[in-house]
Amino acid sequence: MDTFLSEKHRTIRRSVRTFCQREVQPIAKEIDQEATFPWEVVEKMGKLGYFGIQVPQTLGGAGLDTVGYIIVIEEISRACAGLGLCVTVHNSVAVYPLLAFGSDEQIQKWVPPLAKGEKIGAFCLTEPNVGSDAAGIESSAIRTDKHYFVNANKVFVTNGGIADVCLVFTRTEANAGRKGLSVIIVERGTPGFVVGDLEDLCGVRSNPVSSIRLYDCRVPLDNLLGKEGMGLRIGLEALDTGRIGIAAQAVGIAHAAFEEAVRYSRQRYQFGVSISKHQAIGMMVADMATKVDAARLMVYRSAVLRDQGKSFSQASAMAKLFASETSSEVTDLAVQIHGGYGYSKSYPVERYYRDARVTRIYEGTSEIHRLVIAKGVLGD
Amino acid sequence: MGFHIIVCIKSIIANGLYDRVVCSSDSRELNPYDRPALEVALRIKKELSGTITALSMGPEPCSFALNEAMAMGVDRGVLLCDPALAGADTLATSNALAAAIKKLAPFDLVIFGIRAADSDTGQVGPQTAVLLDLPMVTGVHSVEPKDDGLIVERSADGFLECFEVFFPAGLAVHSSANRPRDVGLLGIELAFEERQVKHWNLADLDISADRIGEGGSATQVLALSRVENAGKCEFLSGSAVEQVEALIDRLSASGVI
Repeated sequence: MDTFLSEKHRTIRRSVRTFCQREVQPIAKEIDQEATFPWEVVEKMGKLGYFGIQVPQTLGGAGLDTVGYIIVIEEISRACAGLGLCVTVHNSVAVYPLLAFGSDEQIQKWVPPLAKGEKIGAFCLTEPNVGSDAAGIESSAIRTDKHYFVNANKVFVTNGGIADVCLVFTRTEANAGRKGLSVIIVERGTPGFVVGDLEDLCGVRSNPVSSIRLYDCRVPLDNLLGKEGMGLRIGLEALDTGRIGIAAQAVGIAHAAFEEAVRYSRQRYQFGVSISKHQAIGMMVADMATKVDAARLMVYRSAVLRDQGKSFSQASAMAKLFASETSSEVTDLAVQIHGGYGYSKSYPVERYYRDARVTRIYEGTSEIHRLVIAKGVLGD
Repeated sequence: MGFHIIVCIKSIIANGLYDRVVCSSDSRELNPYDRPALEVALRIKKELSGTITALSMGPEPCSFALNEAMAMGVDRGVLLCDPALAGADTLATSNALAAAIKKLAPFDLVIFGIRAADSDTGQVGPQTAVLLDLPMVTGVHSVEPKDDGLIVERSADGFLECFEVFFPAGLAVHSSANRPRDVGLLGIELAFEERQVKHWNLADLDISADRIGEGGSATQVLALSRVENAGKCEFLSGSAVEQVEALIDRLSASGVI
């Protein structure tokens, strides 16, 4: 039903869908069960430009617009939510802040290998005591003549287990609250950079989420992104864009569940007919179809506003809120439509159900988004 | 112009012939058997330099297949698009393609896929080569450029045949020839930004109307219906050994083994 999209955008969708059908879908169940990261597929994705989707072509990226970007994320997530997560976090909250706030030297150094997928990016904000309350960050970076000494304990870092380039949110000025935060780029392999154990998660299990701890990491002063004190601003701007990607991920998961539910309902016979002929199921399918479509259109709108250079924070907050809650509802209905089989790992819907749940939590919880949206409507 | 390869591709119906298919780009896709042909062209281009033109015939929504070919790395796309071309059988299609290929001359190589996934005839490639008086090898699975030609291999009835062909020549590429490259995002962006599909109508081709479209068709499809396979289950009787022997007889009689 996206016939209103340009032929280019539909070609993007078809190409990613074909790739995922061939390379991702056959392994999606296994990499979820085993919680393994599919390096071979990721390497192929790198060559196709999936890790530099909106990076300018002069820097080795594909130079797509935001509408193209969300289509790629949705299609990858439809096949495997953990891989979709890897690609959207890398693009939106690792590469994008570098492009938006980086010096020419920083951009030339890090963006080309990130854009080709030769290096993977991560965004290190969350700490054991710091979730929604980002201003309470305890990690510190002490400045000397030539270096920062960074101490940080970051948890739930998406791509953490494999990330090469980490944007670490730290406090560069004590007792300065929200204004004392800065972003420092730290590379894996820096002495004192320790990757913790991988988290054993309910869903998105193919993504290597882990903690990252920095023990007196000596980092060049040139690795400061933007200026000291800009940390919160960089974080919020990154998350504004990241929200659109997560919303697209949620739509991909919901759509996959919806398709499976429709397929199953046509094959399953009870009381002499396929269950798709029972009104109770028909009602569920109608709700699922409508909500997935509405969520997708909200994501498109955020993307279009961003591409037009207009303010999109409110639109992206609404899209993320609605798409993530929709994905939970739709995957739940998909399990219900499958009945007992929906509860078994022999069918994919239980994976979609588990994958959907986290979309209401990360990159801003639903509660935080409601605060943001309310403030956008009511003012302070 | 340098070395010039023309690849003939088809935009096929994706949803099966029995649904009410509105001809839009969503209901059609690049013939999967054309992808190995495009891949052969792209590899030869890499080795010998030069350019590739993708050529197709069909209504406007078929141009997306050319966009996809350009996203893979083809340099230009030409769509033969005219109501007069509609209803063509393989002969009329070959007539139109041959006229277009003459207009695209000079060329060194014309490449086709082994067949189209919807009509399944495999006739257009050889017919077009005959009309153009080109030597052609069909079912090719290996292509090696050399000097002023190619060394190609094909399998036929358990034999491996090796041919030397000199340019200009035609090839029909077997689906096992290679694993075609995936379409990358940068390729799509460039294909739509920089390369436009050229549209040619009947007036652009040096061919009379009675050789194309329905009027130029030597054959006509009278009826099309789905073959229904009523599944049945037969139990073999006897001891385990007897059942196995009976099963082997059945499978070899039906050509499965």
